[in-house]
Amino acid sequence: MRYAPAILVGRLTRFAARLRKPGGGSAVPGLVVNRIAPGYMKRTLSGFPQGLVVVSGSSGKSTTTKMLVAILRAHSVDVFTNPSTANISQGLTSALLERADWQGRVPGEVAVLEMDEGHGALVMQGVDARVVALTNVMVDQIDRFHDSEMVAGMLGRIAARAHEAIVVNADDAYLERLAAKAGPDVAVHRFGVSAEVLARSPRGLGYTETSTTRLGEGSGIVVASVDGASALLHDGAASVDVRLPARGTHYAVDAAAAYATAKAVLGERFSPVTAADALSAIPAVFGRGERVRVRGQEVEFVLVQNPASYQLNVDSIEPGTEQILFAIGSDVRDPSYFWPTDASSLGRVAIVSGSKAPEAALMLAYDGVEIDRVEPDLGRALDEFLAAPEPKHGLKTIVFSADAMRRTRAHLGLTGAE
Amino acid sequence: MTLTIVTLLPGLQNTNGDAENATVLVRRAQWAGLDARVIAVDSRDDLPERVDAVVLGSGSDSSLEASRDALLTMHDELRVWGTEGIPILAVGTGWELLSWGIERADGSSLEGLGVLPGRAVPRGARVTGDLVVASSRFGLLVGFENHARDYVGAEGSPLGRVRSGSGNGRDGGQEGVVMGAVIGTHLHGPVLAKNPAFADQLLGMMAQRSGLEYAPGERAALVDGYAAAARDAQLGAARAAASVDDA
Repeated sequence: MRYAPAILVGRLTRFAARLRKPGGGSAVPGLVVNRIAPGYMKRTLSGFPQGLVVVSGSSGKSTTTKMLVAILRAHSVDVFTNPSTANISQGLTSALLERADWQGRVPGEVAVLEMDEGHGALVMQGVDARVVALTNVMVDQIDRFHDSEMVAGMLGRIAARAHEAIVVNADDAYLERLAAKAGPDVAVHRFGVSAEVLARSPRGLGYTETSTTRLGEGSGIVVASVDGASALLHDGAASVDVRLPARGTHYAVDAAAAYATAKAVLGERFSPVTAADALSAIPAVFGRGERVRVRGQEVEFVLVQNPASYQLNVDSIEPGTEQILFAIGSDVRDPSYFWPTDASSLGRVAIVSGSKAPEAALMLAYDGVEIDRVEPDLGRALDEFLAAPEPKHGLKTIVFSADAMRRTRAHLGLTGAE
Repeated sequence: MTLTIVTLLPGLQNTNGDAENATVLVRRAQWAGLDARVIAVDSRDDLPERVDAVVLGSGSDSSLEASRDALLTMHDELRVWGTEGIPILAVGTGWELLSWGIERADGSSLEGLGVLPGRAVPRGARVTGDLVVASSRFGLLVGFENHARDYVGAEGSPLGRVRSGSGNGRDGGQEGVVMGAVIGTHLHGPVLAKNPAFADQLLGMMAQRSGLEYAPGERAALVDGYAAAARDAQLGAARAAASVDDA
């Protein structure tokens, strides 16, 4: 009963927000409830019968969360989870409200939450998690996180909320140092890649500091090999084949993270076969290497969020892809930190667009990429790019930052624009 | 004859892509028809026989000491290069390490190499944003700044006057420091790409020392068009911010 009035106000706010912006989700109801019932989120998060599982880190947390939820649901666990756009406090409360009954209770045996590394430390104050999984430490947008020490510090505060287990990427030296500080009652589970997989990633895995040694067989979940969009995971003596949502070693690492975390959550109930089937059934991830049919043609969407994902995703674009639209929006305020990346493999880009088009063109040009034209107006760039004849080689490919992705989806009338 | 541009400690000192200025110099030299290469130098053993320019970028505060110790092994070389007029571009903490020293907010300090006058001192809060500097020698410089310290003692020979942003701070209205061809600046990231006139001045000095002619190539004109558009966008944003500040 305690939260019924706040829930009612939150519901009314949501109703009002929907009248104003039909179909739109909004963080406003969460903001309102957080204000009038500040304890609601903490109590609700702590109230799931099988506890709370938190996934955080610089990169890969969305994919890992989706994979983990799929594995748990395949094991018949009733899971509450948040959409990846709602990984900060107000959005999280709004997501809880979506599912809450009139007293504010949210159904589900276990909650799996993707947590923004910046806001997570604050959200998690006073909240106990059963298991915390951490993906990696990478340098994020420089306006936000000035250095890796800061990111590691924030992840450390999130990890400190785990009372049963933490799951860490053994290839990330920052996370291994965090794991070394875990309390005596907290189990540490690990995932990582084999020496062979690392050797086949000439630019490394993108972590700020990569551990000097690889995870031994039997010490955790090892990505033994990656072949295109499929990977082989070693779980002790067991070999598990999984199909990935797209090409790329980072997806294999995400799959290993989800597998290791599900195993930590389910214990005896965990089945490698069920996990592999659930992982293999996951559709292409929103906005990254996603294939979409637009205006009668197949188009590939590639999302870039930080230098590491930029490099991995650019490298995964088929060499010789003839038609590329490259759009960087205002979310990348200062593109300086992208300069250490190398996009020379793209060869040629048809149109550079977005509000940061000149900055992007400058960077591509110094990478030795030929640019046919620069068109800062994204709508016009998209119309012309899609109207051009189909390429002889490769798919029409759109590389975009998160802001440019939202504008692209809105312009093309695709669902999930926000 | 190949122009050799050294990038110092690219592993530790490239947080904001400042080390990429070495590549900018190489590309522009190549577009002008000259041979040029980048050599990454992590320790004294990596140093090439001949050096035509040096780039030292900015790093994280946690690696200040490690970077300083690595630079100390090349102290003599840095002094000789500076005296001989070999361009050295040092950015952010890279510049601070070449100064007399760095004072931290907790009262501790780290001695620098003393190649450039002045020292870094704590400021209230980190400053991040657009930085526009009018330099009599290098033109109107446009870029970004992101630093947690001010700089004092450069008043005698700054890089230029701040048009927008904080620069050396302490309300001095100045940015950077210049000693001959040794330049320290807060302008981070690919400042030489964004400011091609600055890059061409450095390339001119390098060419002259080597008895070569440097004139920007055709491709540079095309690429500098992108730089001009990026500069315009940033100058517009900086002007808008300035007019809000004035109001």
